Amino acid sequence: MKRSLFNLFAVLVILSLALAACGAPAVEEAPAAEAPAAAATEAPAAEEAPAAAVEKTAIVGFTASLTGKLNVESTRQNNGFKLWMDQVNAAGGVPLADGTVVKFDSKFYDDESNKDRVQELYTKLVTEDNADFLISPYSSGLADASAVIAEQYGKIMVTTGAASDSTYQKGYTLVYQAYTPASAYLTGSLDLLANADAAAKKIAIVHENDKFSTDVVTALEAYAIEKGYEVVLNEGYDSGTTDFAPIINKIPADVDAIMGGGHFADGQQFAKALSDKGVAAKFISLLVAPPEPTFAEIGDAAFGIVGPSQWEPLAAFAPDYGPTGAEFIEAYKAAFGEEPSYHAAGGYAAGLILQKGIETAGSLDVEAVKAAIDSEDMMTFFGHIKFDTSAENHGLQVGHSMVYVQWQKDASGALVKQVVWPLEGKTAETVYPIK
Amino acid sequence: MKQWLHPGFWLTLLIVLALGLAPVFTRNAGLRETGFTILLAISMAVSLNIIMGYTGYVSFGHVVFYGLGGYTGMYLIDTWGAPLPLAVLGGGATSALLAFGLGKAILRLRGAYFALATIGVNEAVRTFVANFKPFGGPTGIELQFSVYKQYGGAADALWLTYYGVIAISVFAVIFSYYIKTSKFGLGLMSIREDEDAAEVMGVITPDAKTMAFVFSAFLPGMLGVLFFFKNGNVEPADAFRLGFSIESLVMIMLGGQGTLLGPVIGALGYQRLRGLLLTSDAMIGSLPLKDFQLVIAGLLMLVIILFIPAGLVGWLRQKFAFLRRILV
Repeated sequence: MKRSLFNLFAVLVILSLALAACGAPAVEEAPAAEAPAAAATEAPAAEEAPAAAVEKTAIVGFTASLTGKLNVESTRQNNGFKLWMDQVNAAGGVPLADGTVVKFDSKFYDDESNKDRVQELYTKLVTEDNADFLISPYSSGLADASAVIAEQYGKIMVTTGAASDSTYQKGYTLVYQAYTPASAYLTGSLDLLANADAAAKKIAIVHENDKFSTDVVTALEAYAIEKGYEVVLNEGYDSGTTDFAPIINKIPADVDAIMGGGHFADGQQFAKALSDKGVAAKFISLLVAPPEPTFAEIGDAAFGIVGPSQWEPLAAFAPDYGPTGAEFIEAYKAAFGEEPSYHAAGGYAAGLILQKGIETAGSLDVEAVKAAIDSEDMMTFFGHIKFDTSAENHGLQVGHSMVYVQWQKDASGALVKQVVWPLEGKTAETVYPIK
Repeated sequence: MKQWLHPGFWLTLLIVLALGLAPVFTRNAGLRETGFTILLAISMAVSLNIIMGYTGYVSFGHVVFYGLGGYTGMYLIDTWGAPLPLAVLGGGATSALLAFGLGKAILRLRGAYFALATIGVNEAVRTFVANFKPFGGPTGIELQFSVYKQYGGAADALWLTYYGVIAISVFAVIFSYYIKTSKFGLGLMSIREDEDAAEVMGVITPDAKTMAFVFSAFLPGMLGVLFFFKNGNVEPADAFRLGFSIESLVMIMLGGQGTLLGPVIGALGYQRLRGLLLTSDAMIGSLPLKDFQLVIAGLLMLVIILFIPAGLVGWLRQKFAFLRRILV
């Protein structure tokens, strides 16, 4: 008897959950409506809001990795985008040529950091939620899957957090990249090295064996050879590697520079291992890990390590469109209570790209906005934005360049991050050689 | 012949057909994408059920066949310009071949040892593919958008992959039922109940197990090609995602292992519920329900596994005698 009661209970729970899940879609507007109102007080341009114009709402759809391994980066990107949306709406929206004013609303789902449902969710965004514009999911693999849907339904999609070049070489015409492509992640390090020491010639490349890092170092190696460098080692390691000793032993003793890395945990571990083993390279440049504030947790092993970043709060560009870096940082801190990372800045920049396109086009028509984004050539707080418009690389970011940071010591001996490249944005001289 | 008149078979087939054809008649793309996810899950669960439900060997590495098949198909399309149907068959054949090669070796292991070995195989194949240059190494294989042109553009190509997944899931149900009701299937079920006794009774267990493994590998191999073709790229991390294997296991547990209808109902219920939770606008207090989707899905699994271990179909068959004649 007890058993069957349990069974009955189980069935009831399932049924009620299923009903709850199908049931109540009516209350959705509440949080979306609150957010812009809250932001209105802190948005700098709030008082410019026009009195009474015909309003249209453009829906921007995307998936975010609310759960899964990409959660942290994706959430920050999402925050950046939301900040942009709140500020634009609070400032009165974007006026069109016919006098109507466009305000923005977003619709997003959790993609769980994997590809399984990306196309399903993007199709839903386009066909059922009537999204006017799309933002990509975080990471190149997921962005690739969503681009097929964007292109099929003729929707403009701005990708952010999707650095691989190959996405833009697949023949899409409506996909635009906010980030500097992977192929240019480490090439600037080589320019930096050449600037610091013209005599340095031997480079060892050690990288994580995944899509992103492999794309980066493939381009780096080609660039190095073109510039007359000698690549003395090019070695991949598996994602999740923690013991770097066998690879470090392969690095020749007379190497000038070590470049590569992968993501945060392995990059940090690799830098520490290089220091522990006393490798005497004069210059070390690693992907992803060095720009993160927590990189300095490895202490003196972090000293001198250079890393590329899509954006740094320190780098002061003079924008001709959108907020200044300081304004963005202040608004972001007020809204989310933390320093913005480059993921957050990228999310905001994706919004700016759309906004500028719609403003220039003066309409929401896809062809007009596409033509406007094609011709964008602007300086934002995130950096220079300009797209390749050739058939082979349409949408590839060609304006934006990486900022290179180096961990240095201040007067009190504490580790601090300094921008060392490009020269026009630098906050300190490059420390070279580090050993 | 008589077995083909069984209402349970037709019920299962009708469910799959109704699910599959609804988007075709309404020409609704949103429904089609949801349908694709569900039919893919159904075919995965039905195929895993052959080795797990009928034969009693729990495989955690079923996704290896999906990934390897997907890679093979993408390679055929990208490098050799193979048409999609040929690539799909190629993917299935490669996975079946891998299962054949592995079968004799790892099917000697029983219980937890076999389950662990299947995880090992998946990791080994993933690492191999990530270093295998013709498959693009760590960057994988990417298709040009123009590849869809020969199928009439991306929209038509997406419909084509959908017809493909309908065909595979219908085939999966018929094939699974055929095995279940054949002499070969009886052999498998006797292995599940007591392998040593089955051997004594004349079942050549190594051969029977290997064939079951091969049959269960062929379907995911084909499904992988359709999924990655549709997505336009394949990478090692997506192709060999262990979580997908475990989800397939859960679907079978949910519906009832060893039955024909069970994996279908389990996959349908699991995917539909996850889909609804993911896209639901409902709120719990001030937080959206969709933020809790994993929590709710997890709780649900726990409730079912604790209280209905035979799965839904198994439970219904136990409770209601007349349903034993209807549900298979």
